[in-house]
Amino acid sequence: MNEDAKMNQVDAMPDPSRRKFLNSAALAGLAGAGLSVGLSACNKESAPAPSAAPAAAPAAAPKAAASDLHLHMKPGELDTYYGVWSGGHSGECRILGLPSGREIKRIPTFNVDCMSGWGITNESKKIIGTRPDGRLKYMTGDTHHIHGSYTDGTFNGKYFWVNDKIHGRLGRIRGDIFECDAITELPNIQGFHGIFPDKRDPVDPAINYTTRVFCGNEFHIPQPNDGRDLDDPTKYFCLFTCVDAETMEVRWQAKIDGNMDLVATSYDGRFAASNQYNTEGGARYEDMMSAEMDACVFFDVARVEQAIKDGKFMTIGSSKVPVVDGTKAANTDPKTALTGYVPVPKNPHGVNASPDGKYFICSGKLSPTCTVIELAKVADWFDGKLDDIRKAVVAEVEVGLGPLHTTFDGRGNAFTTLFLDSQIVKWNVDKAIQFFGGDKNAQYVVDRIDVHYQPGHINASMGETKEADGQFLAVGCKFSKDRFLPVGPMHPENEQLIDIRGEKMVLLADHPVHPEPHDFIIVKRDIIKTKQVGTLDDHPLAVKDAKDSGVFRDGNKVTVKIASLAPAYTLREFELKVGDEVTLILTNLDKVEDLSHGFAIPKYDINFVVNPQETKSVTFKADKPGVFWAYCTHFCHALHLEMRSRMIVRP
Amino acid sequence: MKPLSALRGIAMAAILATVSLLSPPAAAQTAYEAKLPPEVNTAPALCDYVPCTDVLPGATSFSERKGQPPYVEGYAEENGQRKLIGYVVLSTDVTDTPAYSGKPVVTLIGLTPQGHFAGIKILKHSEPILLLGIPESALTKFNDQYLGQFVGANIEIGRSRPEEDMIGLDAISGATVTVIAQNQVMMMSGAAVGRQVGILEATVRPQANFADRGRKLDWATLVKEGAVQRLTVMPEQVGLPRSSEPFIDLWYGYLNHPEVGRAIMGETGWRDLMARIKEGEHALFVIRTGGNESFKGSGFVRGGIYDRVQLRQGQDVFTFRDLDYYNLYGVSAPGAPSFNESAIFIVRSPAFSGAFPWKFIFLGNRIDRETGARTFVNFDREYWLPSAYLEGGRPVVKKPDAPWVRVWKTRAVEIGLFAALLIAVAAVYANRDALTRRSTRKNKWPVNAFKYSAWIISIGFVGFGLLAQPSITQVLTWFHSLLFQWQWELFLTDPFIFLFWIFIILTVFVWGRGLFCGWLCPFGSLSELLYKVGRAIGLKRFQFALPMKWHNRLKWVKYAVFFGLLAVSMFSMGLAEKLAEVEPFKTTFLVGLFNRSWPYTLFAAGLLGLSIFMERPFCKYLCPLGAALAMPSTFRWFGLRRKQECDSCKACAVGCGSLAIDEKGRIDHRECMLCLDCMVLYTDEHACPPLAQERKRRTKAGLALTPIGKDGYYIPIKPVAPAAPRA
Repeated sequence: MNEDAKMNQVDAMPDPSRRKFLNSAALAGLAGAGLSVGLSACNKESAPAPSAAPAAAPAAAPKAAASDLHLHMKPGELDTYYGVWSGGHSGECRILGLPSGREIKRIPTFNVDCMSGWGITNESKKIIGTRPDGRLKYMTGDTHHIHGSYTDGTFNGKYFWVNDKIHGRLGRIRGDIFECDAITELPNIQGFHGIFPDKRDPVDPAINYTTRVFCGNEFHIPQPNDGRDLDDPTKYFCLFTCVDAETMEVRWQAKIDGNMDLVATSYDGRFAASNQYNTEGGARYEDMMSAEMDACVFFDVARVEQAIKDGKFMTIGSSKVPVVDGTKAANTDPKTALTGYVPVPKNPHGVNASPDGKYFICSGKLSPTCTVIELAKVADWFDGKLDDIRKAVVAEVEVGLGPLHTTFDGRGNAFTTLFLDSQIVKWNVDKAIQFFGGDKNAQYVVDRIDVHYQPGHINASMGETKEADGQFLAVGCKFSKDRFLPVGPMHPENEQLIDIRGEKMVLLADHPVHPEPHDFIIVKRDIIKTKQVGTLDDHPLAVKDAKDSGVFRDGNKVTVKIASLAPAYTLREFELKVGDEVTLILTNLDKVEDLSHGFAIPKYDINFVVNPQETKSVTFKADKPGVFWAYCTHFCHALHLEMRSRMIVRP
Repeated sequence: MKPLSALRGIAMAAILATVSLLSPPAAAQTAYEAKLPPEVNTAPALCDYVPCTDVLPGATSFSERKGQPPYVEGYAEENGQRKLIGYVVLSTDVTDTPAYSGKPVVTLIGLTPQGHFAGIKILKHSEPILLLGIPESALTKFNDQYLGQFVGANIEIGRSRPEEDMIGLDAISGATVTVIAQNQVMMMSGAAVGRQVGILEATVRPQANFADRGRKLDWATLVKEGAVQRLTVMPEQVGLPRSSEPFIDLWYGYLNHPEVGRAIMGETGWRDLMARIKEGEHALFVIRTGGNESFKGSGFVRGGIYDRVQLRQGQDVFTFRDLDYYNLYGVSAPGAPSFNESAIFIVRSPAFSGAFPWKFIFLGNRIDRETGARTFVNFDREYWLPSAYLEGGRPVVKKPDAPWVRVWKTRAVEIGLFAALLIAVAAVYANRDALTRRSTRKNKWPVNAFKYSAWIISIGFVGFGLLAQPSITQVLTWFHSLLFQWQWELFLTDPFIFLFWIFIILTVFVWGRGLFCGWLCPFGSLSELLYKVGRAIGLKRFQFALPMKWHNRLKWVKYAVFFGLLAVSMFSMGLAEKLAEVEPFKTTFLVGLFNRSWPYTLFAAGLLGLSIFMERPFCKYLCPLGAALAMPSTFRWFGLRRKQECDSCKACAVGCGSLAIDEKGRIDHRECMLCLDCMVLYTDEHACPPLAQERKRRTKAGLALTPIGKDGYYIPIKPVAPAAPRA
């Protein structure tokens, strides 16, 4: 089959008939036998093809090759990698042990969690943000992308950032305690999608670590979104945002054309980039897909910040954040341009930086291609040495249907998820460049493997650092269908693990995950350095000595100070009066690692956990008279059941 | 009373009743979660709130808290003068080392001015294990082991190892965490006071100056050069059936050294670790390559302390808390063995220095296979960075002398005097001829002056003073040492007994056992001295000796006693040692007649009382040591002299207090005490019948009384040949 050869098909297809069918269907949409540059393979006819495919597709993973990757951890054995996972619209993040896939921790972030008391304690409420009446500002969140802080091109384990797509917030997770410590709401955006930390400073070479986090903005809205221009989508626009990694304050924003999804940053610190769709500025999906070419927009970070220094910015609405104009129209001269729009076929999705620091790879989504952008050439364009920024594209090759995200093994290979094909394609970047450069014998596709089903994000061990080690990758399959015991209409997602050490990929494991993780990173375990217990002084209100506990009244404002020391609270009982506004401060004075205590107050809808040497507080109104046995909910000691305190609320 | 609380009350009462039934009455008043007045922790007048006099008996007043960490001084009134009689320290003032419960055992500790533990009282503990199951008295009993010990001593849980100057404490089965924590608390508290009041010198170890030659070391090199050490415990060492598979096989090393650290953890791993620990903190790694026993155990989960591993450097013991543990993810040195348990432990103390030797200690359990009882036993191995790893090489470490050397040094004067005594007695005895010739039956003072002096010195100086009473248990120990393992150190630690035995062995083969038994044995001397004194003060008419018939039967009893003990010792040394109480030595000299329970006192006093009326009853019939020495005496080199007539004369047999001369006039050297009475007679021309006869003959014949020769006769008178004319 002639087309097959062009697709650089490899032989090891588990089910050639299905594969050929899909490929034929896909290629039927091509407008010729030539290269598919600029062409979409995802027309309306081919889009439903996978579901229309013959039912011959094998449900089980093909036993194409065996893997000796040590997957099952013997008792006491520790995983070799941390998996840092987003949680989708569960609003949380998660820590997995890899390659075993065991879930070790859930990190409540934008959600409310009654296990830990996240969203219940004053400390967490302050981070999440409250309304004037003290209630949480938002109780929903949608975490998609989680990325770590860098030093010298690799993870340093200090922070992880995650977006909340619903309310446009950026959350930060401390790598030493794996808890969220800051949340920033980005002004004037909706549909906060991609994020990526920078890897070094664009100007100061001494700063070889992360100082900024870049945020893509997907939904274009009237600016400011205060009721104006409701019916004129042409006036809507998106803002690209830069947040300070340390202070979590918004440094600047840039107005751009189109909608942004994922974000990537260059290893040299000069560029941040975001893939774009809907450069058309359409408000309806058919309008959003009308153009054959969208773009990957590059930001010259130093120039943007210089422009702000030079006062070339505006502000939008009540936001004080400086906003530069990054639209195409405002940046026509490459030598002064803040932004450069590299044309990429039709609604691209993921953009990923190769570990060698040379390329950004844009996954075509509606185009069956991956576009390889050479950063040196983008720099040339900004420096006025390249006339057409499109010439920075050094390869644009077909990989399969619905390419979404790409990861790397550090040995020159890219692994791209094919959403529609339910496949991962392994392809060689250099060969793709050769092929694109005219060497039609260059076999850039190395291998393909079926995944189950419809993969979204993909990330290999250390894959987004210059230390990509090519051990294994995880792929987030959006559908699990028949892969797990059925539990009713709602199915878990299926995170699959694939051995990528050899030429052939080997499917290792299926893991059901509570919906719905999107992105994740896989971090070598020795990079993470966690605290074993808290620090008493970290909380200004810590009850540092058992004898400081008591009930302190100031009118109807009551502060209850309690310490916990297994197996008892320092107050056996405490008295309140109906109508009191109570702030209860609990410090866990235990020093033994892992000796956390809970504190639940029945009927008052309160529960939270305090780790050793930490302090947490809750504020509530004593509105119900009676006796309420506050008790420890977190198993702590042989006398855990006896660990309680009587809250007496006098009428 | 509301029904619920009534029920609770009944349940509590039932629990308390059970607890008090199970515990000895003394422990009924429990320190479990005892309510302490809050001032205990802060009040300057500590002793107003806690029973300081309980731990410092005799103190009538106490100072306020002083020093850092705080302690108080205790005083007694003496002649109207206030006199310092010790110190009291509250353990929680020094350390919050949590025990099993995660809370400290609040202990009040009394010290003498010289730094010995004078009293220990648990004020409060939260150990659930001591509320149910193990009686609280067990902890009290454990603490009692410290009484009299020096705060600077090397004390640890496990067996005593006198050769290493290590005092072992019996742990409480099932409460190791508690006692390990308690040991640390006791030693830290004692040392904290000791350093402040000048009893102890503070340990300051200069930190290591590492030599980093930038080498990339593989595992084999690390092991060969001693930068990684191995500690293997075999199953039989912990009472399990012998096996070729180790019980636990551990490797460990000191990670602060750059070459070692990089080899084990890799460059970045090591840098991260060094960045993670503070200046003055030290990291070591441990991996387990064999065995199923965990070196982490599970104590750290509850109490936060790793109860199976420790470090010791000199006096300082370093225990690891859970926060002192980091994961060791792998060993990067090529050739490293695969392992199934690993750890990085951090020593957080400036007292530790990598330049000096230290010991890694695995705290194990030995199971007695018959009883199932567990005893605690430590295994350790020294680690000292090789010289080449340290700039300027290893520092000079003044290792303490072996304990026996210290004893010899500290008691040099007494040892000298004692040796002089032994030599003098031997010299005197070697010249016995001169003394016996000067003595006569009527006047034995030339001999007795020396002998009685020897007795008195033996009783007073050797017996009561040096407690150097040889005993059959030493003979038994030798037998075992000869059979199993001979350790000079074991015998050298008691210099007096050691010298005494050299003397005994030499003299038994030269002259027979009599020189020791008759001249120097403290108990024998006391026994015979009593007899002589009895005779001198007019009790002679009550004094008696057994008829020879009975004597000859009963003298074998001591041999039976000896062989009985020897036989028992083959099965149980412990039982044999108990049965060796047939020797009244311990009661008489080592412990004191009035310090023992009445059966012992009665026995010893009875024997001594009998000695007034009968010469050496114990020595003759019971003494197993005498029996043991009697047998080789058969082969003595020099016996006492006999004459032809002796086999018929037997005049000396009448005066032989030891009943050692038989009806044929032969001296039984197994029974002979070398009193030399018969030797006095031997040359006494008035008392020795053959000699007296000759004297009378010569006197009658007008012959000269020539000197008495060696054979006990007058030197015969022979005509002197005329001198040959000179050629």
